[in-house]
Amino acid sequence: MAVLLAACTALVYPLERVTSVTALGVVYLLGVVIIATFWGVWLGIAMAVLSGAAYNFFHLPPVGQFTIADSGNWVALVTFLAVAAVMSSISELARARAREAERRRAEADLTAEMAQLLLARMGMQETLGLIGQRLAQVFELQSATIVLREAAGDARRQAIALGVGTGRLGTLLVPAGLPTATEHRLRRGAVPALTAVLRAALERERLVAEAVQTEGLRRSEAVKTAVLRAVSHDLRSPLTAMIAAGAAVRGDGVTAEERDELGGLVEHEGTRLSRLIDDLLDLSRLEADAAAPRFAECSIEEVIDAALAVQPAGARFDLAVETDLPAVTADFVQLERALANLLENATRFSTPAPVVLRARAHGDRVSVRVADRGPGIAAADQERIFEPFYRAAGQPNDEHAGSGLGLAIARGFVETNGGRIWVESNPGQGSVFVIDLPAAQVRAPAAG
Amino acid sequence: MSARRVLAVDDELQILRALRLILRGEGYEVLTAAGVQDALDRTALTPVDAAIVDLLLPDGDGVQLCRRLREWSTMPIIVLSAVGEEEQKVRALRAGADDYITKPFGPGELVARLEAVLRRVVTEPEPASFSAAGLEVDLVAHVVRRDGQAIHLTPTEFSLLRALVVNRGRLMTHRALLTDIWGPEYADDVTVLRGQIANLRRKLEPTSGPRRHYVRTEPGIGYRFDPR
Repeated sequence: MAVLLAACTALVYPLERVTSVTALGVVYLLGVVIIATFWGVWLGIAMAVLSGAAYNFFHLPPVGQFTIADSGNWVALVTFLAVAAVMSSISELARARAREAERRRAEADLTAEMAQLLLARMGMQETLGLIGQRLAQVFELQSATIVLREAAGDARRQAIALGVGTGRLGTLLVPAGLPTATEHRLRRGAVPALTAVLRAALERERLVAEAVQTEGLRRSEAVKTAVLRAVSHDLRSPLTAMIAAGAAVRGDGVTAEERDELGGLVEHEGTRLSRLIDDLLDLSRLEADAAAPRFAECSIEEVIDAALAVQPAGARFDLAVETDLPAVTADFVQLERALANLLENATRFSTPAPVVLRARAHGDRVSVRVADRGPGIAAADQERIFEPFYRAAGQPNDEHAGSGLGLAIARGFVETNGGRIWVESNPGQGSVFVIDLPAAQVRAPAAG
Repeated sequence: MSARRVLAVDDELQILRALRLILRGEGYEVLTAAGVQDALDRTALTPVDAAIVDLLLPDGDGVQLCRRLREWSTMPIIVLSAVGEEEQKVRALRAGADDYITKPFGPGELVARLEAVLRRVVTEPEPASFSAAGLEVDLVAHVVRRDGQAIHLTPTEFSLLRALVVNRGRLMTHRALLTDIWGPEYADDVTVLRGQIANLRRKLEPTSGPRRHYVRTEPGIGYRFDPR
């Protein structure tokens, strides 16, 4: 301030030659306006008073004293002071207007930011948190929380509804006792904007969910078509054989030997048909998410034993099962089916070498590995083999061929019991199928 | 000895026909019934030695029939269950059934299980020894051999093997085995049983060469001695 005062005083001296000193009070106005614009009305007025004093002292005769000789100069001084005060006020007003405009701009920016945040791909809770923070920042609140439900205010916070009646989307919670002006600005500006954007975001979430569901339905339709096609073919083969054999056995001149052969065929194909139906039922239950496991504590050794028991006679296995494997919480029958399928596949590919079966615990997990010395599986196929009806290229489609469902069912059962299944393989080096399961949570030991 | 009489209960004619064919072929006399009430009426008129009961019946279910039969009879009961009827199967066993067989069944297995449950009833002196599928068990001398090689079992392991062998082919529930070998206070200690079964299996079943099975797990229910 002193600098400006000195500058204004100095400026008058050269101008004195041009015009009467009484008219030069306006020079000090420069200083007053500058001070008032940047530092407010009260400092502006203080500057006006000091300017008046300087004007009087340095320029109004008698120079060097605070008295004024000419009455006309009194008018000049008083006018000067009045104008200076008015200028201060005007500057102050301009400043206030500028501040207001700045605030409005910040609020508009906030609306745009809210829209951007809500429509971005972030979790709803995260987004609402961020918006609350920004809102609090822009409106200078202590806190602002947005919740997607009806909430009542309390002593510390007041609740502002977002949306009305059936369109009620949630509530904005802000500190109670806000200045009226702030609350007014909130309710008139931010709240409607927030409500509108929130509505759009919730609608979008709903549409995305619908789209996902539709895609899911489309894919399950595709699976159903594939299943129907495969079923029609795979079921008909054994049926054809059975009907033919059944008719033949009633023919004339059938020897006892032939009768035995035909009977055996009916039994064999019937069993194959029965297994296929079981596989299809399992698969459809897995696809429909209806294969609810009956969880119980299972011993992996027993699962392994049960899976081995159903393997074809003559299949050879090389076992390395760790002792004291932890129990797993799972559906025994489902795990056994999964493992039996793996073993059956392995025996088909591994002959004459024995299939290697290893079970070990590591950390809080148990893994069972089935290794065969077959042709191996290329990396590109290692996920595809778990798809229903996927049959490896070159597999014979005869009585020994599987249904193409074994691995799909194995994966379905393992995953629904909380485990993982995958294959490690290189072409020409055989394959290792791995089932990985979490160990059962250790419970407090029973008394006794 | 007069032929043993078996009651077959199922609402499907084909199944009844198949059961009749199979059992008559093995020398049994067969009575048939198509529902719970029908079965109770038949058994009231004519005593039977065993019953084969389907779980799904038009006027109730196999579990109910088991319960009713158990009110006045200790006859062996085998239930016919289908894949996916696990819950009912377990309930039937708890309600008094002795064993189960899953449809579609092979006649050989049905007959084997029927004979196993009937064996319990006929008072026959305990066999001194047993051998099948390479396993020889001398119940008197407490000696066990597999393919000629002696296997050393602890006393508990031997008791367990004995219980299974004497009841071979029959389903032995966890409870039955635990009560028999450890006593009624341990009837629920399935973990202990599982551990001993694992030990037994490790000793009996060879880990290399052709796979041999002696003890079969019936998940959630018990074990069965089924050498093959």
